Amino acid sequence: MKVPREARYDAIALMGALCLFFSTLEYLIPKPVPFFRLGLANLPILLSLSIFTPADVLLLVALKVIGQGLVNGTLASYVFLFSAAGSLASVAVMLVVHRFGSRWVTLIGVGVFGALASNSVQITLSVTFIFGDAAWVIAPLFLGIGVASGFMVGLVAERFRARSRWLGSMKERYRGP
Amino acid sequence: MAPEKRPNVLAAHLNPRLLFLTGIVVIVCFLFQQNLIVRIGQVLVFAVLVVLAGKRIRIGYFLIMVSSITVFNLLTPVGEVLLRLGPIVVTRGALRQGLMKGFAIPGLVFISLFAVRPDLRLPGRLGGLVARLFFYFEHLLEGRKRIRLKRFVDSVDELLMDLLQSTTASVARDGSSPGIRTTHLGYLFVSILAIANIAAVVLFGSF
Repeated sequence: MKVPREARYDAIALMGALCLFFSTLEYLIPKPVPFFRLGLANLPILLSLSIFTPADVLLLVALKVIGQGLVNGTLASYVFLFSAAGSLASVAVMLVVHRFGSRWVTLIGVGVFGALASNSVQITLSVTFIFGDAAWVIAPLFLGIGVASGFMVGLVAERFRARSRWLGSMKERYRGP
Repeated sequence: MAPEKRPNVLAAHLNPRLLFLTGIVVIVCFLFQQNLIVRIGQVLVFAVLVVLAGKRIRIGYFLIMVSSITVFNLLTPVGEVLLRLGPIVVTRGALRQGLMKGFAIPGLVFISLFAVRPDLRLPGRLGGLVARLFFYFEHLLEGRKRIRLKRFVDSVDELLMDLLQSTTASVARDGSSPGIRTTHLGYLFVSILAIANIAAVVLFGSF
């Protein structure tokens, strides 16, 4: 069934706004390790995998990256490019895992794969363009942090999917009248 | 008491789109700059502009970033040996390369911080979508005090249900820029900024 464009855009914008909102909320959560980022902004993307078409999931990710760039003022900096590259890699992997492995892999697994893809790309970019080859030594630490954050966000996403009334309404809204 | 928000002096004189386009010109010139002293000077000027834009700079964060990038680059020796610090050999080429890269990062972030404002509207369909995004984001932010960490999922769900029932996205469908006009002072500012950065790259850069 073809989804009406207005309904699609409204649903994508609302999910994008939720990404920014979670990104803001993350500041309220105490960090166990400095530089640790939980990545709560990825939660709506995990949830959208079972609602949106792959093209709309990609549009949501683009919207999230641009929105964060505008709110944080990083739209014209390397941070934006790193964020865009990491998010793109992450969503590509999550879409593939969810499409072909949703029978065996929960949102926790999808979240872990996504976080690993994002961190791998960002580490590669920082080694190539900023720190040099010596920085590979810190790669295992960042990948470990990625696994932990992907696991936690996936856990919250599973819980959200099981309990949320809003998610059901969101599906109807996306499909349109 | 929450810290008082600094006023954005630039916003009063500049249309967000003109400021953004000026930022793009400055970024290109900054990236082509090959003189270390000029690059450090540019970073200091950009830092002042960030403060004028009403934003805060985490100095410690950027100092750690510049230092760590420089140290990592020192691990690959290039050129004349300047100093030996135990196992680390400080070479002229590696030090210069490290500092060039190290100062590039805060420079780019500072340009972005003063040149990109949340009221920047992008053109076309994507611009309309971004406008809707901020419409919903503002509504969500209004309800942020209702979020409880102990019942995170339920409190977020309740907030979203209320939002879904109470709002219709009556936001701009296109990406038209908000009505902030650029003043004479604003035009003077962007002209000086662009010309100074172009001149710096012509005189000291790699053009």
